[in-house]
Amino acid sequence: MRALRAAINRVAGAFNRRRRNFEMEQEFASHLQMQMEDNLRSGMTHEEARRAALIKAGGLSSARESYRAQGGLPFFETLLQDLRYGTRSLRKSPGFAIAAIGMLALGIGANSAMFSVVNAVLLRPLPYDHPNRLVQLWETEPAPGVFPFAGPDYLDWQAQNKTLQSSSLYAYAHFNLSRGSDSQVTRAISAQANFFSTLGVPVLRGRAFIPGEDQDGKNHVAILSYNLWQSFFGGRENVLNSQVELDGQKYTIVGILPRWFNFVPVGLYVPMDMGTKTMGHRGNHSFHAIGRLKSGVSAQACQADLMMIAKRLEQQYPDSNKKVEARVIPLREQVTGHIRKRLLVLLGAVGLVLLVACANLANLLLARSTGRQREIALRSVLGASRKRIIRQLLTESVLLSLTGAFVGLLGAYWCVRVIASTQSLPLPRQSPVQVDLNVLLFTVAAGLAVGILFGLAPAFRATQAKLADELKASSQAVLTPAGWSRVLRDCLVVVEIALSLSLLAGAGLLLKSFARMSEADIGIDPHNVLTFSIFLPQNGYPNEASQREFAQRFLARLQALPGVKSTALSGAIPLRGGSNGPITVEGDTNPAHNSVLVEQNYITPDYFQTYGIKILQGTSLTATDMEHDWKMGLQAEELVKEHPDIQKLPPDISFTAVISRAMADMFWPGQNSVGKTYIWGGTTVRIVGVVADVNENGIRERPSPQAYYPLTLSFNDRGFGSAVSIKAAGDSTALLRQYAKRCARWTAHWESSSR
Amino acid sequence: MGDKTEVWQGTLALMVLKTLENMGPQHGYGIARRIEQISGDQLSLNYGTLYPALLKLEQDGFIASSWGVSENNRRARFYRLTRAGRTQLRKETREWEQATSILARFLSPEEPA
Repeated sequence: MRALRAAINRVAGAFNRRRRNFEMEQEFASHLQMQMEDNLRSGMTHEEARRAALIKAGGLSSARESYRAQGGLPFFETLLQDLRYGTRSLRKSPGFAIAAIGMLALGIGANSAMFSVVNAVLLRPLPYDHPNRLVQLWETEPAPGVFPFAGPDYLDWQAQNKTLQSSSLYAYAHFNLSRGSDSQVTRAISAQANFFSTLGVPVLRGRAFIPGEDQDGKNHVAILSYNLWQSFFGGRENVLNSQVELDGQKYTIVGILPRWFNFVPVGLYVPMDMGTKTMGHRGNHSFHAIGRLKSGVSAQACQADLMMIAKRLEQQYPDSNKKVEARVIPLREQVTGHIRKRLLVLLGAVGLVLLVACANLANLLLARSTGRQREIALRSVLGASRKRIIRQLLTESVLLSLTGAFVGLLGAYWCVRVIASTQSLPLPRQSPVQVDLNVLLFTVAAGLAVGILFGLAPAFRATQAKLADELKASSQAVLTPAGWSRVLRDCLVVVEIALSLSLLAGAGLLLKSFARMSEADIGIDPHNVLTFSIFLPQNGYPNEASQREFAQRFLARLQALPGVKSTALSGAIPLRGGSNGPITVEGDTNPAHNSVLVEQNYITPDYFQTYGIKILQGTSLTATDMEHDWKMGLQAEELVKEHPDIQKLPPDISFTAVISRAMADMFWPGQNSVGKTYIWGGTTVRIVGVVADVNENGIRERPSPQAYYPLTLSFNDRGFGSAVSIKAAGDSTALLRQYAKRCARWTAHWESSSR
Repeated sequence: MGDKTEVWQGTLALMVLKTLENMGPQHGYGIARRIEQISGDQLSLNYGTLYPALLKLEQDGFIASSWGVSENNRRARFYRLTRAGRTQLRKETREWEQATSILARFLSPEEPA
């Protein structure tokens, strides 16, 4: 209490200097007068009285000094004084100041921007309740990697595990969302009813799904993401409990999610139908699952627990679950695992940039202090202690570095806004990338540390010269540094160049591998190829026939557009993955082939031409093949309807395929595979051609075996989506916009005419 | 206190408080005169010692000051004891007496046990 009052009085004193000084002088004067009067009274002459009084008073200037020191805050007063002096002297050498501040702004700004990303992605906990208890669940197969869930497997895991407090199944979906005359295609998640309680996310408005809502007939409710609420519904409150149409079906909006929630960027959430029909069979891996560990249970324990269940299932269902195992990955690792190392490398790189900037600053400061030698000598002759001068010089360097940090922060703020708004960056966005308190503190700390650490050596160096020598040098500027100052400067230059070179080399390598990647022969010619996706609403195109009719009309229209060389529809496009499955070749005894998954894509005849994929043997798929497989597909469907348990269809029902060279080399090495057949999902497939490999799964991996089937096989009664690829005659990104607009007009027109 | 002018800060504060208790409100010169007289002119207070000490006591809230007119019609700043100062004076007096009595016993010739 007493210390606090004293402190307040002192701070107040610091701001009240002038008045306090005036009163001190008054008080001293009246003291002197009274002393003189007493002296006069005791018989001294006027002169004597004055002299004696002054002697008695003691050193007046030192009295003033200690009185002032007691009255205010000498530390801050000196600081202010140094700052004023520093600003003045920096203003006198603007070249130096701008160079130093610019350098530091670059170094600190880059670090702050990078740190904002690291902060959002790696440092901040996932924004869920007890986030380290959240895990992602996967199944594994003999093939490498992790796989989505088979519905029935999940139900068994959920029922039998002892380590999970809760778990939730979900799948990705697309819906055609419409309300009144507005409509748009929206990515969505359909999930088990406990999805949000498992994640531990409260809703912003309304409610989450309630137990039992994940059953057919009850599941026509939807929860909106904040973004969709804002963009499609204009953020209106009365959206709650109102109805929208998803693929023509009425859904009631029951909740809105908080703005920060960004588990995956989808627009809305609907309950999944957990009935056996939707769950499918054990061989069909198409669901995802998250889990929340019981308190105190580790991910490893959970993994062991689920592994036991998987083993039981393997014995129970040897056909579908052979070697299907469990994999539990902490959600944090799932989200950041792939990017962690890259972010840290980048942070290291910008750290080096800052070091180079600092070395540069230290060097500039040294050079400058050499030029200021005489000023410093003069100050110490006038009574400034070495400590005092070092303090002055440090204040200057910290002034520089903090100004640099401030300018850098402005740059970082701008960078972060760009990063935050660039959705194409491969960053997990569970927490928003932003300049927050952590980043601010980081920047200020970096600025202070740089200013003090790299200002110290020059300050020490500047104050150790011999006074007399400096002053004797009279008007000649002392420009040649000697002794260890020289060594120091040389060292700094060496360090700087070494750091810069390693940065340059790193950047060069990065550029080179980037160039290599963009020149890499991935088996396609992507020049002037435009691609986008379309989704047909289920209500407008409920069955295979209507979808097929759409595809034909759509392709014909596209083909007729000016500047279109060739065009194709396909289930997947190169380098973007797709689905896969096993095949069997009669008479093939190689056991390794049992675990091979063949990539499958569904295409229209001009797909290979559009992407410049070379046909090595045989032919591409033709319009006749499309027609043939269409009919065969219908027949196969009839047969399956009649005999639900049928394992293998008769050989007179057959599909057509073009396969990749990798697939041909794997199953028919050294033979002409055109005309050969294999079994795929119980159906005989006849090979009509072999094409060059496309590295479908990314540039770093070896090409996987790949089969192309007619698009007509992918039509189904659950809605149809497809990639559209257009090879344009010239380089015209502008065309894309035009095409997309036209497509939207056509489909809108077709939709209204089909109703 | 070898040198005549040197006064222990803590001791000086106690002397100032005691002086103000005895004499009532007083200006700096009066306080200095009184302390010097009582010390039998063994102490001499210059401005650099006295005024920072007064300022510190004021910041601590033990004394308060206001401008007034001296007995010789001279403008002067008068210091007076506050309630907190009175409490502090009692406390410090007690402590001081205790310290000196311990020290006195310590320094006195040892009595035969």
